[in-house]
Amino acid sequence: MIQLFHVSKFFERCTALHDVTVRIEKGESILLTGPSGAGKTTFLKLIFGAEIPDEGQILVQNRNIARLREADIPYLRRTMGFVLQNFKLLPQKTVFENVVLPLIIQGVSRAESKKKVGEALKSVGMGHKHASQTGVMSAGEQQRVCIARAIVNHPIILLADEPTGNLDTELTLEIVELFKNIHARGTTVLLATHNQTVVEKMNGRVLHLHAGRLVSDKGPTA
Amino acid sequence: MRRLLYLIQEAFTSLRVNRTSVTIGIVTTAFTISCFGVFVLLYDNLKNLAGTLQHDIEVVVYVQPEASVQVVEGIRQRLDSEQAVRELSFVSKGDALKEFHQQFPDEFTLLEGMEENPLPASFVVQIAPGFQEADSIEAFTERVKQFPGVEQVRYSQDWIDTLALLVSYFEFGAIVIGVTLAVATITIIANTVRLSFYARKEEIEILRLIGATGSFIATPYVIEGAILGLCGGGLALVLLKGMFEFFRLELNASGWFSGLESVLTFFPHETSVFLVLSGMLLGCGSSVLSVCGLMKVRNDAA
Repeated sequence: MIQLFHVSKFFERCTALHDVTVRIEKGESILLTGPSGAGKTTFLKLIFGAEIPDEGQILVQNRNIARLREADIPYLRRTMGFVLQNFKLLPQKTVFENVVLPLIIQGVSRAESKKKVGEALKSVGMGHKHASQTGVMSAGEQQRVCIARAIVNHPIILLADEPTGNLDTELTLEIVELFKNIHARGTTVLLATHNQTVVEKMNGRVLHLHAGRLVSDKGPTA
Repeated sequence: MRRLLYLIQEAFTSLRVNRTSVTIGIVTTAFTISCFGVFVLLYDNLKNLAGTLQHDIEVVVYVQPEASVQVVEGIRQRLDSEQAVRELSFVSKGDALKEFHQQFPDEFTLLEGMEENPLPASFVVQIAPGFQEADSIEAFTERVKQFPGVEQVRYSQDWIDTLALLVSYFEFGAIVIGVTLAVATITIIANTVRLSFYARKEEIEILRLIGATGSFIATPYVIEGAILGLCGGGLALVLLKGMFEFFRLELNASGWFSGLESVLTFFPHETSVFLVLSGMLLGCGSSVLSVCGLMKVRNDAA
């Protein structure tokens, strides 16, 4: 599903990733851990084609990311879902309008979109709020909408970058449950976090990064 | 279809949200297109005027004072046989005197002391179509000068040529001004669209993240630019029509260049449509220029 071979990524003043080699199988639940600046976000950005590795190769669904044409990147991203710490929702639009956006981009029909959005919102417990403005919602609700948007298209891979960074413990646990449910349906989940509670509750394979290096790779506890 | 509707809706939302900069964009676009329009309107009317004058061009063949009736008749017959002659009329010495009296009543006293009418008889020749070019008229007058009994041949080609030269200068000027103002319009619309783009930077990042192609992201801005240019072109047309009618009324009221106001014409429908559409095309072009950077999808998202 995802393979990194001796991948390095350098920025002007630092090394974001250094000689990382890892193989992620379909349906795995991966937790990318490490302190701030360890290279977690760069790891995710390389997978969805926002960055190109300076050294090494990355294969995502058997496609070499470095050799992918600019015009093909949007199509790669359509097979993925994204959940970010700062939600990245359109505050002037309703919940429905935010969640339906990936389907409009892909040209899905109105009837099918309505059905898919309904399912996605129901799975995150937001079915009753489809007409609400996202700008006036609580952080927990916004994150649920963000997750609904990420899964509305049934992605093969779900990438999440510090999805609980802005949430309290109670909401964090609720969001972790949502991710566990998504993973249980067969989606490959890559979740970058430095929250130990999330790591424990998700109980997935833990890739620990430090200063851009992959320092440990532990499987889930039995 | 749904995607297209969404993109159009987004363009209109952007126009509504950025209405101040959009209004300024429309007004300045209208102003620049109007400036170009004034020049084209002047060029168009001068060209029409030159064409009308060229069509009505007259050659006056003056007869020698001592020419007999037979000689005058000979001149008439030879003129009649010329292909270049569309219409021919004879102005006798008496007719010439009457005409002088009518046209210059104040100066008529100048002729009162004279024993004999000094004005010559003449033939007024209307030139046939196809012989109205300067070279043809010159060849014709050269031939007529050789006819027995002809004193002098005159025609108004000099100032028609001057007018034609003026029209060609206007043509060149319209091209130069048109290109300059087109660049100005492109810059104005491109900046307006760019402002709208920066105002929605966050939204664009989200769209890129969830798999929108560059063309999907850029399309609302191109539609926005097209609408802006279309409105600018339309407003320019209204302004030009208003200014044109005002000028015609003022010209009529002043009494100067009597009759000229009836010759003046506004743009034909095709030119009006072209002017508005050129605004739209400039708007589209400006947007494409300002958003072509949006096609880049790497090193941006998240």
